[in-house]
Amino acid sequence: MISRGEYLYPMRRLTPPAAGLAAVVLVAACGLQPEDPAVALRQGGQATAALKTVTATVKVTKGTITFQGFKLVAATAAVRLPDASDTNYTVRDKDIQISFEVVILDGHFFFRPPLLAFSELTPAQAAQIPDLALLFDPNHGLPAVIPAGRNPQYQAADQVDGVDSHRVSATYSAEQIKGLLPQLSAQGDVQAVIWVGGSDHYIRKAVLSGKFGDNGTDSTVEVDLSGFNSAVHIASPTRTG
Amino acid sequence: MRLTAGVSRPVVLLGLAGAGLFVAATDAYVVVTLLPAMIADVGLTIDRLEQATPLISGFLAGYVVAMPLLGAYSDARGRAPVYAACMAIFAAGSLITATAGLLPGAGIVWLVTGRVLQGLGGGGLVPLTLALAADLYGGSGRTVAIGSVAGLQEAGSVFGPLYGAALATAAASLGSWRFVFLANVPLAAICAAGVLLGHRRLAPITAPHGTAIDWPSAVLLGAGLGLLVLALYPDDPANRAVGDLFVPAGAASLVLLGAYGWRQVRQLEPFIPRQLLRSAAFIGSSLANVLVGAALMVALVDVPILGRLVFNLDELDSGLLLTRLLVGVPVGALIGGVLSARIGLRVTALLGLACSALAFWQMSGWPAGELSLRLGPFRQADLALAACGLGFGVVISPLAAAVLNLARTETHGLASSLVVLARTLGMLAGLSALTAFGLHRFHQILGNPVVNDPTVRERVDHLARLVSAAFLQEYREIFAIAAVICLLAGLLALATLGPLPYRLAATANR
Repeated sequence: MISRGEYLYPMRRLTPPAAGLAAVVLVAACGLQPEDPAVALRQGGQATAALKTVTATVKVTKGTITFQGFKLVAATAAVRLPDASDTNYTVRDKDIQISFEVVILDGHFFFRPPLLAFSELTPAQAAQIPDLALLFDPNHGLPAVIPAGRNPQYQAADQVDGVDSHRVSATYSAEQIKGLLPQLSAQGDVQAVIWVGGSDHYIRKAVLSGKFGDNGTDSTVEVDLSGFNSAVHIASPTRTG
Repeated sequence: MRLTAGVSRPVVLLGLAGAGLFVAATDAYVVVTLLPAMIADVGLTIDRLEQATPLISGFLAGYVVAMPLLGAYSDARGRAPVYAACMAIFAAGSLITATAGLLPGAGIVWLVTGRVLQGLGGGGLVPLTLALAADLYGGSGRTVAIGSVAGLQEAGSVFGPLYGAALATAAASLGSWRFVFLANVPLAAICAAGVLLGHRRLAPITAPHGTAIDWPSAVLLGAGLGLLVLALYPDDPANRAVGDLFVPAGAASLVLLGAYGWRQVRQLEPFIPRQLLRSAAFIGSSLANVLVGAALMVALVDVPILGRLVFNLDELDSGLLLTRLLVGVPVGALIGGVLSARIGLRVTALLGLACSALAFWQMSGWPAGELSLRLGPFRQADLALAACGLGFGVVISPLAAAVLNLARTETHGLASSLVVLARTLGMLAGLSALTAFGLHRFHQILGNPVVNDPTVRERVDHLARLVSAAFLQEYREIFAIAAVICLLAGLLALATLGPLPYRLAATANR
């Protein structure tokens, strides 16, 4: 399906005034008025800060991000803020793909490798694994970082999972990105494209591109958020060790 | 359909058709060494290996369904157009397979669909190429041509794993495993175009008649095999060997396959006399071929996987490990041909299968460090694998000859495809059954160990060692079962095959 924003592509062949007019007409036609990009980002941060539960998926779409010798492919977390989460990781070890699960509940960390039952981790052991709940930390996570983007630019009105959203680009510092996830250790600025819901203002998607891959290589990470304030059940794992 | 004598370059035409068949046959097991990378790229993890079995069983099911159908259909429609259509289906399946994981929603179902289409197209090529060989050659040349085509099919299937590993390694920067399937598209186009162009020069001396695809048979066979695969699918291998549908799907499968067999026997009777179809030699040879197919599948699939998961070999090295077995097959086939003529079919078949059984028995005791054990200048594992392949090669000739002996010369193509059909059916059933058994045993052996190492990495590495040990034990047991299957097939051959050697003249005059 072609997203509404992609209809703007023919603008490249139009003169700037005509392109601007066409953009306004097209955006108006899809029912979502253009937003001041800084306002959109600020509203996105505020809405995300107020979340109680959310499902977050992180996918590495370009480059390699390694932790503990595993190449991260994707991670999906059901998060109940402020401190409970159930995250499934898909990683590659050489060319073999495996998955494991980490549950954080009541201050305890539980780890379930493939085929086995849960065992408990110490906080130090758990810190070796990317914690997607950190994305929602009010001081260093998306609520704090997203509004602080430099050079915000409104790109288009778009749809994400059928929801009209503002697509905004911005630039973030390496320090800001590392605050989101310590495993994203960037060398230099990171470019981000962020989709903010038109009516609910939730951050629905973010694509980060920069030199935060292994050895500072170019990488791209896609963060998808859904299930805002939906019921999340995180059961206490049965421990075996 | 008989073609006129004096055809221009029948060797080239048959060579092109055979090349296409060879390419299609290689794809049956080409995935064996590529499985971990393929399933990873469609989002599956290695602990759900059972979900990957349709990548092989789906191909085999398509292969087996198409094989008996298209020979008669091409009598009416012409060999070349039907051959080209099969190649187009095979190429389309290859393209779908190659693009799995690249497009939204193109996951495991997309991948399996591609593999089934590959099998349907590839399976159709077997009777078509055999029939083309019969069209192009007469007299004793026909038997040689048919034998060559059957040999190409066999060779393609056994060289597939190495071909896949070697090509994927060589094309690492061009898509790795995807390139293996993408390469099929131009190869299929060349073979199809060559057969179409070459065939135009050949005038049929009999007019096409109204034979069509036997759809009832197609439905019976397709549904029967589909239900068989479903019955043997291990939906919860951690807790049980077979799924919930084992009994109902298995019973329905037996009914449908029985009905298919009954229809086929009735249709074959004009070509092969009823008493021969019901003869002990025919039934024994067919059953032995089914068992050989199941045991051969163990070697073709489990040896490379053992190499990857237990011996920590990469794609290419696991494929190379299998070459020890593959080298034995053609050598054994030559020995089997000579022995069959000298000491008879039944003793030759028994010797071949006993050789494979002994090799499997030795393999059932392999330790984790097997690849470092030597016997003189050779690695012990290489000798066992070569002996296993040698035995499988030796048995090809007597089992095929037992069926060919029953058929008139002009139906040798049909008889040969029956041999391939029986073996492929055995491979399909063997793969499904042994996967179900193997994965269940794997979970039983692994149990519920506790890993409490200091770091996550160390815990996963510890688990990997436990998994490796469990896989090794599982494969040892499967090798022991394969040894028993080979012995059963050998005893069956001894009891049912005729004592007389295969005599070409006798069958040619029949």
